[in-house]
Amino acid sequence: MKRLLLLSLLCPPLLAADPVEADFYKITTFATPKETAMEVGSIDLMPDGKLALGTRRGEIWIVSGAGSNDASQVSYQLYASGLHEVLGIAYNPKDKNLYATTRYEITRLKDTDHDGRADVFENVNDSWSVSGDYHEYAIGSRFDKAGDLWVTLCLTGSFSSAVPFRGWALRIKPDGTMVPTCSGIRSPGGVGFDADGEVYYCDNQGPWHGSCTLQHLVPGSFQGHPGGNIWYDLAPNMGPRPIDPLPEAFQGERSRKEDRPGGDPDRMVTERTRIKELLPPAVYLVHGKIGNSASAIICDLSGGKFGPFSKQLFIADQSHSNLSRVYLETVNGIKQGVVFPFRSGFTSGLIGGRMDEEGRVFVGGSDRGWGARGGKPFCFEKCEWTGKTPFEVHEMHARPDGFEVTFTEPVDVATAGDVKSYSMREFTYAYREQYGGDEIEEILPKITAAEVAADGKSVRLRISPLTKGHIHELHLDGIRSAAKAPLLHKVGYYTLNEIPAK
Amino acid sequence: MPRLLLALFLASACARAVEPAAFSIKTMTAQMKYDSADLLVQSGQPVKITFENGDDLPHNLVFCQPGTDTAAMALKQMEKPEEALKRNWLPDDPRIWAHSKMLNPHEKEVISFTAPQKPGNYPYVCTFPGHALTMRGVLKVAPMGDKLHDLKFALYLGNWKELPDFSKLTPHREGGIEDNLLQVKLDDYKNEFGVVFTGKLIAPKKGSYRFYLSSDDGSRILIDGKEILAYDGIHPSGDIKEAGLTLEKGEHEYRLEYFQAGGQIELYAAWKGADTQITPLSTWLHPHWKGGAKKQKEYDPIPLVVKDEAVIYRNFIQGAGNRGIGVGYPGGVNIAWSAESMNLALIWRGAFMDAARHWNSRGGGHEKPLGYDVLQPTGEATPAFYASEKPEAEWPKWDKAKRYEGFHWLGYSLDAKRSPTFRYTWEGAEVEETFSVEGDGNKPDGKAKLTRTVKVTGKLPANAWYRIGSGSFENKDGSFISKSTPGYRITAAGAQIAGQNLVIRAQTGTMTITYQWAQ
Repeated sequence: MKRLLLLSLLCPPLLAADPVEADFYKITTFATPKETAMEVGSIDLMPDGKLALGTRRGEIWIVSGAGSNDASQVSYQLYASGLHEVLGIAYNPKDKNLYATTRYEITRLKDTDHDGRADVFENVNDSWSVSGDYHEYAIGSRFDKAGDLWVTLCLTGSFSSAVPFRGWALRIKPDGTMVPTCSGIRSPGGVGFDADGEVYYCDNQGPWHGSCTLQHLVPGSFQGHPGGNIWYDLAPNMGPRPIDPLPEAFQGERSRKEDRPGGDPDRMVTERTRIKELLPPAVYLVHGKIGNSASAIICDLSGGKFGPFSKQLFIADQSHSNLSRVYLETVNGIKQGVVFPFRSGFTSGLIGGRMDEEGRVFVGGSDRGWGARGGKPFCFEKCEWTGKTPFEVHEMHARPDGFEVTFTEPVDVATAGDVKSYSMREFTYAYREQYGGDEIEEILPKITAAEVAADGKSVRLRISPLTKGHIHELHLDGIRSAAKAPLLHKVGYYTLNEIPAK
Repeated sequence: MPRLLLALFLASACARAVEPAAFSIKTMTAQMKYDSADLLVQSGQPVKITFENGDDLPHNLVFCQPGTDTAAMALKQMEKPEEALKRNWLPDDPRIWAHSKMLNPHEKEVISFTAPQKPGNYPYVCTFPGHALTMRGVLKVAPMGDKLHDLKFALYLGNWKELPDFSKLTPHREGGIEDNLLQVKLDDYKNEFGVVFTGKLIAPKKGSYRFYLSSDDGSRILIDGKEILAYDGIHPSGDIKEAGLTLEKGEHEYRLEYFQAGGQIELYAAWKGADTQITPLSTWLHPHWKGGAKKQKEYDPIPLVVKDEAVIYRNFIQGAGNRGIGVGYPGGVNIAWSAESMNLALIWRGAFMDAARHWNSRGGGHEKPLGYDVLQPTGEATPAFYASEKPEAEWPKWDKAKRYEGFHWLGYSLDAKRSPTFRYTWEGAEVEETFSVEGDGNKPDGKAKLTRTVKVTGKLPANAWYRIGSGSFENKDGSFISKSTPGYRITAAGAQIAGQNLVIRAQTGTMTITYQWAQ
């Protein structure tokens, strides 16, 4: 019996080739107008199935026919040009105007003579500053549930904030007033919403960030990089400036129990106890494995038209030219969750992204300045579900003594119930001023039990130990579906900010 | 007794001494590159490099032996990253013979060494993880090449706009040049002449050679009677022209024709073989030659072409602050508006803007106007409106860290020709500004004119002034001539000179100001 099981593990079924991403999600690359480089920086939906694309070259294009099954039906109208980088585009159904987030301004665009080209460019808000540094990108959101726009502002370079509100997230109210909302931002790549309308942004690896991250923009929170905290005086609504995190990581040898005065500053967990405003990243988008340059945040609100991952988030990446998938949950009042690879193979570095009601994900971007795996200098593409359900981890929930993992298809009880089908590795990043950082403090816990639920759709894993603040990297190499298929993606990374109470 | 006495200066025939080579290498912001990827030194030459890290990431400068695969070398240390980190990412590799420290962002270090004796290409690289693929360059160690032999000159007098056919002219004076270096040195007359230099060039072996030429005014080089390089016409010695040629081993006839119309006199010529450095053949060295590396343009230009509609370009425009809005109008006149100071920042003519800087890589930096005759009637990003009892008062200056109080930017609308009307408020009054162009800015006929119409509604503060120019102006027939370079003329009803300010008493209603280049 035991021998048979081992044999079946060693010899995966040879019925068909292992599934590949393209079996489940297909990518369509659109031709774009020859007179421009369509370096998509932002995408929003407009009425009648149209899209608005904002580009790094400062243009706004209205796209028709991109939803059609026939990619040649796509057509483009240049709505505006000469803007200073459109890294946020938002259609307002109330006034039927487009709002562009550009380098130093949110601009409302109107086409008063209805010739298809904007002729009025109104400053909605320009209350943040620019020093002229290339790095001071402004990444804007769509309208949130309150009708506000969010702007996340890159620091001046990687470390500091030369002018007000570099390194902050701001909210622009419908009347145009600005509310400083979160500090601690380094280099945002995108702002988006989850299914409940909560606001998130992606930050990029650098000082204070060992990896790219998905971060929850809770008003009043400090997101981790203290470079912009000099502007608290200008934001009385935010309260007093938080105490600074310790700039240096733990340098001693932990095994010799060397310690340093002021505590152990290398992990988010210890600094969280000191700095009450500090909010840890909801999910580490593990550097080099999930991506290298996280950008757009796309929530699946299509009610199943994009496959089985309803309400989950899809994170675009410029460097890896891919989408990854995030499942979030709230534990002890804090967002945390798991990220899985989802779909690679886009033809340039992804920056902007948006899903329509029919479950079509429109993405685009460029490889300019950082390079991208896709290989093309820019792209505008569509990713759609083929209708085939991939065998994937569906959700991953933290439990007091492990995790509960659910699947998109019923599992094979023999493999899913065997602890040897899984392995886990825990690690973290030093929370420190220095640029980037390695995966450190590795722990290889024991998986003591794997209990398959009666419906065959979930497995309860008992792990010893769980480590608060660590990323829990779960490998599920041995698992098969009831139909004996392997998982499409066999590794996920759960950021365990909080361990649920028993 | 000739009134025009010209003489060629005869320098001593000693060879150039081996001076220390001084270079400055900067890391380019956000491009993962050094600004110089090509350094040229002589064997055994003392070298001093000022290495400046202008980027936001740490970088070093590591020199290796010829043939070193620097990318592989840098990558290899990642096998033991803990050890590499302890060495601050300097690979433990015997092929490294000189290096800087790992510089933090915006640090600087001066490193000195003696160039290797052995000629060759010595690669240099940044060994910080992930940088080596693009952040690299080559230090070329090569001996100097040969000079010209039997160099003679023939001097001609004449007033030309381009090189004449010297063969049909009679030389005014002829002679030999002792040190065999091309040179033009004059005693008391410096305009309207030409010189033909002839000499022998000895190619050490059969192969390809490059020739370099720059001059003020025109010149050309002929090898064995065939023109290979020309830089004719009246111009400053801005560029170094170059051309390649295959030469047989042995003696070749080298002929350089040069003429001077007026103004500066400069002549630079050089050559280089496969095994030698760029070797000057002239006494004067072109400033771009120093250091050996040729300055290369980073990107192909992306000129924004203005046809029959105005073109808007919002980006970092040099001289227009950080909220510049470029407008290229049909008719070859362009402006940059500042949404920082709510004022006209720049006027220029000719081509509009080159977007290459901003539309390549990360797009950092301020781009200057692509055209010419750039006017900045008032200081950079200073407002036009100011309330003061004294119109000669010093106007507010741009503080990059602050916004101007009392101003609020409203935006702009475009007319049927996409020409913008800028809108803002100042102390509650609403202001609209539009610009129109007459004449053709591309033509130097003095007719190109920019008209600025300012419409103020609402109540202005007491003693409100509207400044339209700063610096020295001369009132001439109701126009105000700026004494700056390029010169220009401002015309506006009610304008007055008040110290260094040219102002109009600001009132509700319409002000009209015209700007014209002086001819």
